[in-house]
Amino acid sequence: MESVYSQYAWVVPIFPMLAFLVLTALGRQMKEVGVWISIVCTFASFIYALLIFIERVGSNVEDYTKGMDWIRFGGVHLSVGFEVTNLNALMLVIVTFVSLLVNIYSRGYMKGDERITVFFAYVSLFTFSMLGLVISSNMLELYIFWELVGVCSFLLVGFWYQKPAAKAAAKKAFIVTRIGDVGLFIAILLLYVYMPEHALDFASIHNVFTQPDALAAAGIGAGVTTLIGILIFVGAIGKSGQFPLHTWLPDAMEGPTPISALIHAATMVAAGVYLVARTFDVFHASPDAMQVVAYVGGFTAIFAATIGIAQNDIKRILAYSTVSQLGYMMMAIGVGSVTAGMFHLFTHAFFKALLFLGAGSVIHMIHQQDIHQMGGLGKKMKVTAWTFGIGALALSGIPPFSGFWSKDAVLAAAWEGHKGLFVVGIIAAFFTAFYMSRLFFLVFTGKPVTAAKDVHESPPTMTIPLVILAVLAVVSGFVYTPFNSWFGTWLEGTETVEHANYAVMAISTIVGLLGIGLGWLIYRKHAISSEAIAGKLPWLTKLLANKYYIDELYHAIIVTPLRAIGGALAAFDQWVIDGIVRGVASLTLLTGRASTRMQNGQVQTYGLITLLGCVLLIVAIVGRRLW
Amino acid sequence: MSGMLGSYLMLAAILFCLGLYGALTKRSAVIVLLSIELMLNAVNLNLIAFSKYGVVPGLKGQIFSLFNMTIAAAEAAVGIAILIALYRNKGTANVDEFNEMKR
Amino acid sequence: MFDFSFQLTGEYVAFFILAVCIIAGAVLMISFNKVIHMVVSLAFAFIGLAGMYVLLNAEFLAFVQVLIYAGAISILMIFGIMMTKHDQVDEDVRRPWHEGIVAVGCLALFGILFYAIRSTTFPTANWTPPKDNTLEIGKLLYTEHVIPFELMSVLLTVAFIGAIVLAKREAD
Repeated sequence: MESVYSQYAWVVPIFPMLAFLVLTALGRQMKEVGVWISIVCTFASFIYALLIFIERVGSNVEDYTKGMDWIRFGGVHLSVGFEVTNLNALMLVIVTFVSLLVNIYSRGYMKGDERITVFFAYVSLFTFSMLGLVISSNMLELYIFWELVGVCSFLLVGFWYQKPAAKAAAKKAFIVTRIGDVGLFIAILLLYVYMPEHALDFASIHNVFTQPDALAAAGIGAGVTTLIGILIFVGAIGKSGQFPLHTWLPDAMEGPTPISALIHAATMVAAGVYLVARTFDVFHASPDAMQVVAYVGGFTAIFAATIGIAQNDIKRILAYSTVSQLGYMMMAIGVGSVTAGMFHLFTHAFFKALLFLGAGSVIHMIHQQDIHQMGGLGKKMKVTAWTFGIGALALSGIPPFSGFWSKDAVLAAAWEGHKGLFVVGIIAAFFTAFYMSRLFFLVFTGKPVTAAKDVHESPPTMTIPLVILAVLAVVSGFVYTPFNSWFGTWLEGTETVEHANYAVMAISTIVGLLGIGLGWLIYRKHAISSEAIAGKLPWLTKLLANKYYIDELYHAIIVTPLRAIGGALAAFDQWVIDGIVRGVASLTLLTGRASTRMQNGQVQTYGLITLLGCVLLIVAIVGRRLW
Repeated sequence: MSGMLGSYLMLAAILFCLGLYGALTKRSAVIVLLSIELMLNAVNLNLIAFSKYGVVPGLKGQIFSLFNMTIAAAEAAVGIAILIALYRNKGTANVDEFNEMKR
Repeated sequence: MFDFSFQLTGEYVAFFILAVCIIAGAVLMISFNKVIHMVVSLAFAFIGLAGMYVLLNAEFLAFVQVLIYAGAISILMIFGIMMTKHDQVDEDVRRPWHEGIVAVGCLALFGILFYAIRSTTFPTANWTPPKDNTLEIGKLLYTEHVIPFELMSVLLTVAFIGAIVLAKREAD
């Protein structure tokens, strides 16, 4: 069936772009109106994205691609265009929806900020970039939006640039993701070199990499395929905060909390997962690249989960949990199940945005991020507590919340053939449940702390998004259960045979409950003293609290040597290069002074100079002949 | 007798350098003028020596140095005249106090 | 190359004595303090040079040398000294750097000349000097070199008038 709405899919990113332009041009004059412009535009985008989505859900709609020549040189065409498939229709909805809720939420959260219109302008620009990234029809266009998204992240993380930590975090986010971007860029260049007719659009990539004949005809060997796959994955590692480039993501929590929810939980970090899913054909053609994706994902999942246990900052715990969940998604794709990865992305977007917004609601009230300084907030902030609890249960993978179904899909995918990764996933799930319960019990139950005296519930503009997200966190899982494989069929276009793996479901549920139970015992009942455990294993606590010293390691092996080289070069510049320049200058000056003294008007001095000149001239001209 | 020619030339070189030294160091303008005469004489000596021992001996060298002497005499006269005029204006005859060329 | 062997001829002895006189005169000119002494020592050197000219078979020039240099120019200079009321004594060195550099430069120049003269072999030709030097010069001046000779007389006239104009008191 011909798609109607898809033909005009380009209007989806246009609305936020308009909002950005208007806010940038006229933002100063309007405070409240500017906020509404942003919300309305995002809402319009959301509605249109929803129309596209519903249309595609309704019946078996063909993919729609439209492009036009952008640059043409020699026989090469670089084109821009957009493409609507089921995958990016889903992404469009997720992005616009989360963006809309964050817009509404920010209206309350950012109220009274001097630069609130700037904030909304940035958010709109980010939404535009992310939507552009999603509907890009070729790698080059995607890369442009990819970088734009990075810029927005930089701007928003450093939004409170008065804080040195925010400035440092913004720079770190930008530089660390840039390392990954270089990998992606090299991958694009390799594709450009190897693809027939230098085609970079996803349709051609799909055609070439899914047919071994075409692959052989294009002269792309297994090694090159693996290389391209791994380089694309390097880009995803940077953006999605996978090990070893995950360090920027927790630091990015210095930005305003709605931004953490929008960018660093639900959308931008998912761009890496989306990229891998989008270019899955490349990975599919290379088992080695798949292995790398799977194992990096699995390692990141457990690695970040263990760090999450020992953190004390509410947003950092959520950040490490994000890193961990992104690892899950990568792992799912790596073991061959795009559906499971995207499904987890889909549900994770809702419940992680929910958790962040809930955390933001708490922070907004008590202006404090250390969970040990909180406690007993559940009674004062009922809506926040309930919705946060739902989010935490969803993240912990407790049925029937959405996180259970998506995590189950991931684990089931790992069960098939990658038992090691399955075990890793289960352990990570246990840790996840444990630190989420720790977080929940420490913040919302127990004795109220002094700082929490005049706490009341956040305004409706903040709680309504929470409620909406909570509902979705509960129900969104049902689109793809072992008993209902509609989502997978729709996304992959082929009938996937799903058989419920009750063992996996049982294990993951038990593990989740165990994690929560342990957290309950320690942090609610105080039956087990956390200090006692920490006291028994001081080195482990320290290791986890310091994030395995990854930052320190990077500082020691990368930053310090680079700084030393930089210092040496700066010294070289200052002393040698500048020295030469200054030397030349002072030499000229000295010559000038000396010749000024020569010009003293005295005949004899002139005669002397003439004499010396003559002698030098003679020596220079006939000197060699005399010897 | 080429040895003699070398000796004459060497003597002329010595005289020329002494004259040059005097012309560039002496403060009295009169002595500077005289030193210049000494240098001219060194040149004359060369010319006459070549007119006897040179590759084309003859009287031309002598005639040339005759002209030289004439010019030296004229130069000395004009030089002294300028010196007197300067002395009248500046009240001194020391070369190192003349620095009109600076302006 | 440096061949200092020589035959002890009469010309050489005369040359040696005269050269010593001339150099002594010039060096004294440099080293004397009083201006008038300098002029006299230089006049001595000029007379020595006239002797050299005789050795070189240029009797007429020797005569002219005595007349012009030792006579006219030296007297002119003495007049100049008298008219400018010289403070008689050329004071001690006030510009040591200047004099040092001049000395170095002159020595360097002399070194170059010395080296050039020593390392050159001059081709020679035989020549019997004419009996009457003055007669021959006179003949040449009025035949072959008559135009430069006349130009020279013009130059002398111009210089003579110019000197008068320059030295004349402006008030007159």
